[in-house]
Amino acid sequence: MTTIRLTVNGRAIEADVQPRTHLADFLREQQLLTGTNLGCEHGVCGACTLEIDGAPARSCITYAIDCDGASVRTIEGFGGDAPMAALRAAFSAEHALQCGYCTPGMLVTARDIVIRLPGVPEDRIRKELSGNLCRCTGYAGIVRAIRAVMAQSGTPSGPSLASTEPFASTAP
Amino acid sequence: MTPILPAYSLMDHDIARARPLPTTGVGASLQRKEDRRFLAGEGEFVGNIKLPGMLHVAFARSAVAHGRILAVHKPAGFEDAVFTMADLEAGSPPVGPIRVLSSLPGFKPSSQWPLARDKVRQVGEPIAMCVAASRAEAEDIADAVVADIEDLPAVVDMLEARDAPPALVHEEWGDNIFLETLVEGGLKGDAFEALKRGAAVKVHRRLRTARQSMAPMEGRGVVCSWNTRLDQLEMHTAAQMPHINRAGLSETLGIDQASIRVIAPDVGGGFGYKGILLPEEICLAWLTRHIGRPVKWIEDRREQLIANTNCREHHYDITVYADARGRLLAIDCDSVIDSGAYSSYPFSACLEAAQVGSILPGPYKMEAFRCRTWSVSTNKPPILPYRGVARAGVCFAIETMVDAAARAAGVEPHEARLASLIEADEMPYDNITRKHFDSGDYPEAIRRAMQAIDLPRWRARQGAAEPDGRLIGVGHAVFCEQAAHGTSVYYGWGIPMVPGHEQCGARMTPDGRLELRIGAQSHGQSLETTLAQVANEILGIDPDHVRLVHGDTGMTPYSTGTWGSRSMVMSGGAVAEACALMVERVRDIAAHLFQVPLDQVMLAQGRVSDRAGGHSLTLAELAHVWYRQPQRLPPGVNPAGLEVIGGYKARVDTGTFSYACHAVAVAVDPGTGAVELLDYVIVEDAGTLVNPMVVDGQIYGGTAQGIGTALFEEMRYDSQGQPLASTLADYMLPGATEVPAPRIIHMETPSPYTTFGQKGMGEGGAIAPGAAIANAVNDALRPLGAELTELPMSPRRVMAAIAASRAGGVIGSPHAAKGQAA
Repeated sequence: MTTIRLTVNGRAIEADVQPRTHLADFLREQQLLTGTNLGCEHGVCGACTLEIDGAPARSCITYAIDCDGASVRTIEGFGGDAPMAALRAAFSAEHALQCGYCTPGMLVTARDIVIRLPGVPEDRIRKELSGNLCRCTGYAGIVRAIRAVMAQSGTPSGPSLASTEPFASTAP
Repeated sequence: MTPILPAYSLMDHDIARARPLPTTGVGASLQRKEDRRFLAGEGEFVGNIKLPGMLHVAFARSAVAHGRILAVHKPAGFEDAVFTMADLEAGSPPVGPIRVLSSLPGFKPSSQWPLARDKVRQVGEPIAMCVAASRAEAEDIADAVVADIEDLPAVVDMLEARDAPPALVHEEWGDNIFLETLVEGGLKGDAFEALKRGAAVKVHRRLRTARQSMAPMEGRGVVCSWNTRLDQLEMHTAAQMPHINRAGLSETLGIDQASIRVIAPDVGGGFGYKGILLPEEICLAWLTRHIGRPVKWIEDRREQLIANTNCREHHYDITVYADARGRLLAIDCDSVIDSGAYSSYPFSACLEAAQVGSILPGPYKMEAFRCRTWSVSTNKPPILPYRGVARAGVCFAIETMVDAAARAAGVEPHEARLASLIEADEMPYDNITRKHFDSGDYPEAIRRAMQAIDLPRWRARQGAAEPDGRLIGVGHAVFCEQAAHGTSVYYGWGIPMVPGHEQCGARMTPDGRLELRIGAQSHGQSLETTLAQVANEILGIDPDHVRLVHGDTGMTPYSTGTWGSRSMVMSGGAVAEACALMVERVRDIAAHLFQVPLDQVMLAQGRVSDRAGGHSLTLAELAHVWYRQPQRLPPGVNPAGLEVIGGYKARVDTGTFSYACHAVAVAVDPGTGAVELLDYVIVEDAGTLVNPMVVDGQIYGGTAQGIGTALFEEMRYDSQGQPLASTLADYMLPGATEVPAPRIIHMETPSPYTTFGQKGMGEGGAIAPGAAIANAVNDALRPLGAELTELPMSPRRVMAAIAASRAGGVIGSPHAAKGQAA
C-alpha cells in the first residue's frame, strides 16, 4: 500500500492504494464514485474518460499512485459547470445517448472539444471524438449536440460534412 | 385474445404527416425520461452494485480450443477458494449442464457444463471459479490454477468441420453437425430443373460473412446473494431477458422458479449479447448459496472477446436464376452456419440457420426456392442472434446476388429489384416461404432512395477519372425486418423458447400517478419514455407521471424479454390494453361519484368529467377517493380498483415487416484498399412511429453497427482455434470518423395488425449496410474486373480481390480465389 494525496471533485483526499490499482478502480471501489464506467481497460474505448489536472484522461490506464498531487474531476464533479450543463441539455435534446454507458466519458471529451476548439468544423469534431466509442447512437446525436452547444456559445461549428447535407464537400 | 382497443384508424403516410405533431403521445419526439440519470453518471449498472460482505469472482479459463481435461489442480492454500465442476455436481441438487434442444428432427444436443467437465471445446471456456476479497486477488488465484489438458485437433473452419473434420467437437454425434434442414418453395423437381435450363441469367457465388463480437460498451456481469428471509436467490445481471434467465437457472440448478429473482438493472447495451443464460450466472448462483456470501463477477473486455459468445459467421454457396431483364426466377442455395461449440440458451444453435432457410427470398417474388442449411459445431464460442440475426448475412447474400444478376443482364440493379419486388397493391402477401408480409410499398422505397442518392450524378462522375485515382461506386440494398414475430414462427423454427401473449400490470397510485410493469427490459431502447407515451395516448396522463418497472422477475409479468424488435409492438400493445382497462375502471368510479350514467363519463387529458360539464376530477383526486376516502364510494362500485393486468397478442402474430432501402456512394482506393463512404441514404418504413426521435436513433445506431459488419469487424482465429482479437485494438469497432450521419427518409405505412400500426424496427439499421456497401464497392471495382464476396471488406480483402482479378481475371475474394469461384 502507498499513501497518496489528491483532489477529487474539489475535495482533498488521502488514501492508501495498491501499486497495481488503476485510477478508475480506485474511484469506483474506494471512493464510491461509480459514474466513471469501465469499457475495455485497455485504453481504447474511452468510456472511463475523466479529467486529470483539467485535461481528459483514460482512468483505466492511469495508476492511482501516479495521481499523487493531482486534481481529478469525474462526471460527478461537474455540478455547477456551465459548458457541462449545456452539453447535458443538448445530449438529451439531440438523443445523443441510448444505453448511457459511454455517456460520462463522452461528456468529458465533448466538454473538452467545445472549450478547446470552439467553432471547428464537424470533421474535426469527429476526429476529436474518435477515442470515445459508442455502440448505440452511431454518433449522429453526439456530433449534433456538440455543434449545438458551440452554436449557443456564439462559435458555431464551421461548414461540415453532415447534418442536413451530410456529404456536401465530396458529393458530386 | 381479442384486443380491447379498437384498431387504430389506418393513416397513410401523407395523412399522418398532415396531422398536427403530437407533443406527448404516440408520434411525439419526446425527450427521454431515462436521460437524466445517465447524464449525471448515476446509472445503476451491475458493476456499480455493492452488497455488504460481497466477494469477487474470477474464472480460470481454457488456454486451448480443444482438449481432454486430465486434472485440475487447485493452488495450495486456496483449496477453499477454488471450485470446479466436481464441486458443483457434489451439491444437492447437483448442478447440471445447459442443454438447449431444437425441436426440429435430426437435431443433436450439446451439454455445456457451467465449468468444463471432461473436455474443453473453446478457448476461454471456464474451468474453475475462484473467489476472493477483491477481483485482483481472485485473478491471482485463477492464474495459479493449473489444468492438465491433452490437446486435441481444433475444428476451426465451418466447411472443414462439415466436410473433412480434423476432430469431433462432440464425439457422441459422429459428425460436427447440429442440424441439417431443407426449405423448398414453388416449383420442384423437373419443373425447377426446366426453369434453371431456360433462365437467361444464371449467377453463382460462394459468399462468406465474418464471425463478429456484438461488443456492447458494457459487458456481462452478475451480482447475487441468497435472501434467507424469502429463501430466494436474488441475482442482478446485465441481461435482456430476465424471466428467461430465471427459467434457465431453475433448470440447471434444480430449484424452483419462485425461489429465484432475477433483476436486470441499467444495462449498457445488449444487441443480442445479453440474451443468453451464462455459465457464469449458474456458477455464481451456486456459489453464493454455498459460501453464504454475496458474490460478484464482472466480465472484462478480454473475457468478452476470447471466451463469450460471437455471432454472424455464415457461408453461402448460392445460385440465382433471372430472366433477361434481371427479374428473379429462382434461388438455389447451400448455407453453412458456424454455430460454435455449444447450443446456447434459449435460442439454440439453430435459429440462425432457420432464418437463413426461410428469409433468404427477402421481399422478392420468385417461382422456385431451395435452401439447404447446416448448423455446424466448431471449437469456437457459441453464436447468438446479433441485431438483425441472420438477416444481415441473408441480405448480403441475396442483395449482392441481385446485383450480380443485374450486371449479367446488363440492367441497373434497381431495375432488377423493381421487376422482382412485392408490389404495394399485393399486400398483405404470402411469399414463397410462406412469410406473411403485412403492409408496405417496397418499390417506392427504392424509387425514393434512388432519387435521394441521385444515381445519374454518380454515374456521370464515374465517367470521369477522379483526380486522386480513386474509384467511385454506388450501390443499394433492400430488406425486410420481420419483428415481434410470435408463437407460430418460433414454434416453426424449432426454438425451445416460444413467445406467446405479453402482459402489462398497471397500477394507479394514491396520488394519481401510473406504474407500469412489463417483463421486457429496456437497455437503450427508451421504453421508459415510449411506453409512457402510449399510456398518455390512452389515459391522457402526463408522461412524467408514468413510471416504468421493467427487468425484474419479482415485480413484472412473465415475458420472453427484449429481443427481435418486439418491445414496441408487444409491450406497447400490452401497455395500451392495460391503460384501456384502467380507463374503464376510472370511468366506473367516476360514474358512481358523479352519480351519472357510465356513458356520460369521459376521460381526456388526465381529467375525468361528465359530458354535461357539472363534474370534473383529476386522476389524482379520483385516486385519492378510491384509496383514502372509500367511505365516499357507493356499494356496487367495481371492487377490483385501480390495478389491472392488460394482455396483448397481435391479431396476426407472424410479425410486423419493417423495411428499408439503404443507398450508398463510395470511393475505393485501389492502391490501399481503403473504402470511404461519400453519401448514405436510408428510406425506412417502420409503420406508425411512436417516437420519431427514438426511431431515428435506432436507425443511426444500427447502421453504425452495420458499417462495422461491412468494413471492419472480424473475430479471426488461427489454425489452432486461438482468437486473434483479444482487445478493442484488434477488434475494430467503428468510431465517429468511420460512421457518417446517414440521411433518413421516412415512409409510414401502418401495420394492419398492431395497436397503433407500429412495427418493430430496432434491428433494421444493422441489416443492410454490408449488402449496400458491398454493392457499391463492387460497382466501383467493376472496371478492374474485381468483385468482393466476403465481409468485412477490409483493405486486405479489397487488395486481394484486385490482385486476383489482375492475376487471372478470376472474380472473387481471396477465399473464392482458391479455386472455388463461379
